[in-house]
Amino acid sequence: MSTGEEMPTTATYPEPVLRRVEVTTSSVAEETAVRSDEVKIAAEHVSISYGEKVAVRDVSLTVQDRSIMALIGPSGSGKSTLLRCFNRMNDLIPGASVQGKVRLDGENVTDPDVSVVELRRRVGMVFQRPNPFPMSIYENVAYGPRRRGMNEKRKLEELVETSLKRAALWDEVKDDLRRKSGLALSGGQQQRLCIARVLATDPEVILMDEPASALDPVSTLRIEELMRELREAYTIVIVTHNMQQAARVSDVTAFFTMAEDRAGYLVEVGPTGRIFTRPNERLTEDYISGRFG
Amino acid sequence: MQSVEDSAGTPPTDGTAKGNRALDEATDAERRVAAGIREGLDIDMRDVKEGVLRMGSYVEDQILAAHDAIMNRDAQLAQKVIASDARINDVQRAVSGVVTMTIATQQPVARDLRFLLALDRVTYELERIGDHAGSVAKQARKLAGVTIMVTYDELTPMATLAAQQVRDVVLALIDIDEKVAREVAARDDEIDRLYHKVFDDVLAEMRTDPAKVDPGTRILFAAHYLERIGDRVTNIAEDVVFLATGEVEDLNP
Repeated sequence: MSTGEEMPTTATYPEPVLRRVEVTTSSVAEETAVRSDEVKIAAEHVSISYGEKVAVRDVSLTVQDRSIMALIGPSGSGKSTLLRCFNRMNDLIPGASVQGKVRLDGENVTDPDVSVVELRRRVGMVFQRPNPFPMSIYENVAYGPRRRGMNEKRKLEELVETSLKRAALWDEVKDDLRRKSGLALSGGQQQRLCIARVLATDPEVILMDEPASALDPVSTLRIEELMRELREAYTIVIVTHNMQQAARVSDVTAFFTMAEDRAGYLVEVGPTGRIFTRPNERLTEDYISGRFG
Repeated sequence: MQSVEDSAGTPPTDGTAKGNRALDEATDAERRVAAGIREGLDIDMRDVKEGVLRMGSYVEDQILAAHDAIMNRDAQLAQKVIASDARINDVQRAVSGVVTMTIATQQPVARDLRFLLALDRVTYELERIGDHAGSVAKQARKLAGVTIMVTYDELTPMATLAAQQVRDVVLALIDIDEKVAREVAARDDEIDRLYHKVFDDVLAEMRTDPAKVDPGTRILFAAHYLERIGDRVTNIAEDVVFLATGEVEDLNP
């Protein structure tokens, strides 16, 4: 055996890409699987009020492109309110006002000149309770693209199939596309139909507000696997009461809570692996440990 | 009118390459989701297993290098072995960290959880085995420049066997292979036999010549650490049997 610089190795195993093991040998481990260095969404000192009441105070955070961010925290901490800022759904609530900037690819979407319709195509939303249209499965998915002017039959069919496959629903419904109503599907299937509907509009971001809270455990895990798959192509922000779900599925977790005056604020945000093993803030630790004050 | 149902099995396309590609990717995506694999947990467990394999291979290297150092009375090599111990400790901490994070974020239960906990325990055993190899190297350092020696041929098969044992038991653990684990545990008898032979021979030589006491003691210590490595490997083998059968068995009575 030689006495050269490098320790001679007898290993015949391929040198594994231990991205997380390598990284955690340094002092502070940040174990995010990064698919993109680009910031997709940026909230800059965002505050949201309903009339006089401050619902969310001074939130600043960024969401990387093609990552999943989970917003967690107790009820009333402003998570859903903040989520709705990203596609200006708060516009639909009378008396709602937003301060600060919300940027999509660097451009401020709270600017009055911005086309809200186009914004909501780029930033789609899936809600807690599935809301399929009272139409056939096919029409549900084709609705958005049709309204945008797509009327070539073949293109539409292909888009419907691709969207349903991407939502992991195609196999279950492919024989009933035009016969079966969206309302006739099970809860989990309806939710996937809503996801397919969003995907058909070719979005960049998918917002999910408690997407699985109305579903059974198997459907929930299905949706989570689906989210993991979607993350390859889309940026996802999910609000969830289910901390275990946030832990399982997200790359980054943001913890919100309510201040004395009942305004929601951001306590801590970081890579999910770190948040659930070594959170910086006591408040975060208490919440994720189930020790609510 | 051609409908989607009519063309069962033949996906409709508008013929564009982009459209076909999107459809193919979507088909693959659906298949992956429908396969029902918990990909998040699987990826984490794969990382942990690879970390343990890596530790195993580092430890193997250390044992063989420590052996070379002592056989050749090479202080420089011995020093390298001692310094390399830090690398093993780093990987142990890293792998343990990933295990903690996996349990916290993926909430494994039952078989997955038991396996992860076993992998974590084994990283500690491997780290201790690495320490033993370092201790062998420390004896080598002390033997450098010594002119009067005792015979210590048995150290070679002891070290070779110990390194092989480490490799085999780690593989048995990763695969949860009860059969191989039992074979490994049985081979420990050979290391014990060699140890007792070295012990008797060196003791006899030390009795005949006081000058041989110093080097003889170093050799005895080195042999002792190699024998300890064998015991720790047996501990790991017992863990594998427990994982496979759910029964606790003493494989080295």
